[in-house]
Amino acid sequence: MRIRPLIRPLQFRFGPVAGCIPGTVSRANLSTTIDPALAQSTINQDEIAHFSKLSALWWDERGEFQMLHRMNPVRMKFIREKMMALEDDLDALVTEAEVLQGRAVLDVGCGGGLLSESLARMGAKTLGIDASSSNISIASLHASADPFLDSSSSKQGKRKGSLTYKHTSVEDLLAEYGPASFDVVCSMEVLEHVDNPRGFLHSCAQLVKPSGHLFLSTIARTPLAYLITIFAAEDVMQRVSKGTHTYSKYVNPGELEGFFRTYRSPAPSGAPGRPWIASPRRPARTEAETRGMVYVPWNGEWVLAPRETTWAEGCNYLFWVRRPLE
Amino acid sequence: MLHNIARRARHKVLRRQFATAAEQTERDVVIVGGGPAGLALASALARSKSVHNNLSIALVEAGDLQKVRDWQQEPGTFSNRVSSITNSSKAFLEDIDAWSHIEQSRTRPVEEMQVWDGISDARITFAASELSTSTVNELSRLTENLNLQRGLLRHLSQYPEVQLFDKVKVQSIVCEAREENAWPVVHLSDGRAIRARLLVGADGFNSPVRTYAGIQSYGWAYDTQGIVATLFHAPKSSYQGPNTIAYQRFLPTGPIAFLPLSETASTLVWSTKPHLANALKAADPRILASMINAAFRLPNISLRYLQDRILEDQAMSVEQFTNELAFRERSDTIDVRSAYSSLAPIRDNVGGIPPEDADSVPPLVTSIQPGTVASFPLRFSHAETYTGEGSGARTVLVGDAAHTIHPLAGQGLNLGLADAEALTKCIENALLSGGDVGSYTSLLPYARSRYFENHKMLSACDKLHKLYSATAGPVVWARSVGIEVLNELDAIKAALMMTAGSERAGLPGQVGWELTAKSVETFAKNVNGARELADTVKDLLGVGVRQLLQRR
Ligand SMILES: Cc1cc2nc3c(=O)[nH]c(=O)nc-3n(C[C@H](O)[C@H](O)[C@H](O)COP(=O)(O)OP(=O)(O)OC[C@H]3O[C@@H](n4cnc5c(N)ncnc54)[C@H](O)[C@@H]3O)c2cc1C
Repeated sequence: MRIRPLIRPLQFRFGPVAGCIPGTVSRANLSTTIDPALAQSTINQDEIAHFSKLSALWWDERGEFQMLHRMNPVRMKFIREKMMALEDDLDALVTEAEVLQGRAVLDVGCGGGLLSESLARMGAKTLGIDASSSNISIASLHASADPFLDSSSSKQGKRKGSLTYKHTSVEDLLAEYGPASFDVVCSMEVLEHVDNPRGFLHSCAQLVKPSGHLFLSTIARTPLAYLITIFAAEDVMQRVSKGTHTYSKYVNPGELEGFFRTYRSPAPSGAPGRPWIASPRRPARTEAETRGMVYVPWNGEWVLAPRETTWAEGCNYLFWVRRPLE
Repeated sequence: MLHNIARRARHKVLRRQFATAAEQTERDVVIVGGGPAGLALASALARSKSVHNNLSIALVEAGDLQKVRDWQQEPGTFSNRVSSITNSSKAFLEDIDAWSHIEQSRTRPVEEMQVWDGISDARITFAASELSTSTVNELSRLTENLNLQRGLLRHLSQYPEVQLFDKVKVQSIVCEAREENAWPVVHLSDGRAIRARLLVGADGFNSPVRTYAGIQSYGWAYDTQGIVATLFHAPKSSYQGPNTIAYQRFLPTGPIAFLPLSETASTLVWSTKPHLANALKAADPRILASMINAAFRLPNISLRYLQDRILEDQAMSVEQFTNELAFRERSDTIDVRSAYSSLAPIRDNVGGIPPEDADSVPPLVTSIQPGTVASFPLRFSHAETYTGEGSGARTVLVGDAAHTIHPLAGQGLNLGLADAEALTKCIENALLSGGDVGSYTSLLPYARSRYFENHKMLSACDKLHKLYSATAGPVVWARSVGIEVLNELDAIKAALMMTAGSERAGLPGQVGWELTAKSVETFAKNVNGARELADTVKDLLGVGVRQLLQRR
């Protein structure tokens, strides 16, 4: 790898990266053995402080979060298309525009509410949660200007969606709402910021109803991702505030897949059900899917890479997995 | 009793209207401007199912739309504002079901174009049959702007949920005082205020929305006025085809175009110097008619002589002018029986078999429809961007608010329609992703799909105008001997063919653009002698267009 000499000297600034030297992909992050510390909070206080400082910038579409704004339509497209493909009730003739209508959707780590607002506009009964109270304030303030989203507005009319924000962690929400509370759980660009990704995934997965969906997006732990998201975006171009990303926290698609090969939700009997991904080799189309997201600079837009374009999954990617019906 | 209830009910309605009058309402899309672009956008949005399910729409127009709805014109007479609707614009209007509301009998297909140079007489002719797509048999459709606008209003009457506020002006636009997510608020002259998720500027060249958005517009006024008029002439003889040929001659003062409206009427667009335009407008209409005939027929030197005569003696009688004209024709040895003589309508009509070259010039104008002579300043302008940001956020521009173009290729209104089509698609796509249609990110695809498309056309027409009005150096020499002119004309042809093609946005006239790019490049190469000119043209047209094409 030609890029390694470039990266090595810079590593020191990002603290210990045990076993995560770029290019030597480690699976340590998401080992699938049962961890007693699962119930423990996954929130990283430094990360919360970092994003709170930025919260006022969430809705500056040309600023710090420009890339995230432009990524949003692609995330929504992925969610929409995946749910459409898996639409059980073929008689209902649901269109893509309606596929989220009336669904209970949780957005974990909603930030300024970029994704939450879109989900609500698509008709989902949306709950956005974030561990930073200033993010929740910004998100609420932003949505209150929009009669479409503001719950106090009488103008919601025929739209079935709703939007609520709550300052809480996914663990506390799980304790409060109980498992299997949502048709869809989303957590976009969050996994790479949490302390205990296994525990985090565990909590998210528990909140999903049987045959419900879990959507994640994050950054792969590859030299390419390091180069783009940290070296280029934070250091060279200074597009993104320093300290936004920590390389060692990046998670590879294979690791997510591995997690859900062993993760089982309890069956109604209480006994562990079947794992979310059961197909021996590649996950079945109806079980899970990874799709790369590629930024096309000359168009200024993100595109969803075609299925099984592995090179495109080397940086930003979307991951979808479905809880079995049992 | 019943009467009483009805009255009370009406009273209540009135009161309610009054109460809301001072209030602020909210709309998802507020379109300022009920010209062709604004009405087409409203029509396209009204027609879209996803827009219907999600968005409230209002349009504000200063003028009286009822007058447009009620517009009637004596058969055989025509409004002086006419546009050539390209096949792609027509396909868009058909898609949204608006085309059928346009009175077809008042429109006229253009099946052939004749374009020639005023100095060398080098000429190209092209016909609809040359189009790559075999399904279309016309190059474009001449349509009165009012016929189009009335059709769009008729279409809109099926969608009462789209609110039209007319006879009210946008008095001011302010950004609401709010820390996060401030929306523009439009204050109308009747005291109402509308808070807009997305504010569309379809408000023409002096766009108040563009000013509010803080978007700069670059460009320049051409030292040129476009004279328009409705022209009457004898029907073509049975030896000729129908009146479906468009003529355009490039004079050093600007192009003059003769566009068919019916067997006995055509419309004029004559771009010329302002002082000349004023003199022509002030002259006796019979003199203007003769000048139009002469402008398509006489050598440029003689034409200049006649123009100077009109400028010198603004009180010249028709008789004096006819004598001058006859004198010029004699000295140019133009046979009075030939198609190149302008004197036929003034003498007794020459019947019988038309001269052999009859189709190479337009029919002789016999009179001008009273009240139709008018002129408009021509300018090139292009907004630096189509979407507002910061304190001007939630704004987008379409039509003349975004760009104005030289009319030599008849594209101004067509570009506005293409904008309306693209913006509608962009809004539909944003809705499908739960996007906020007023957000910069949601509008980005619109700007991306239209900005360079428009810019290519704007600069192509601008450069062509400049080439033809160049008065110095090798260009004029080249033109005078007709060496290079055909190449230039080829570029015009390509530009016209490109938009005439029926291919739609997405893959719009690929072939056409290739052709334009190629011919422009050849041209640029050929005039290499004229250094500066070649450089500008090569840069702006050749290379620019090429690169843009490759990027698609
Ligand atoms: C001589 C000439 C010939 C032309 N020939 C052709 C041709 O052959 N083919 C072609 O395609 N194009 C042609 N064009 C261009 C074409 O006419 C214009 O491009 C077209 O009319 C622009 O439409 P629009 O809707 O963008 O703007 P406009 O027609 O200018 O409409 C803007 C509207 O906004 C309204 N408005 C403005 N300010 C306010 C306010 N404050 N409050 C409320 N309402 C407001 C105005 O009342 C107006 O109705 C020609 C132009 C000229 C000058």
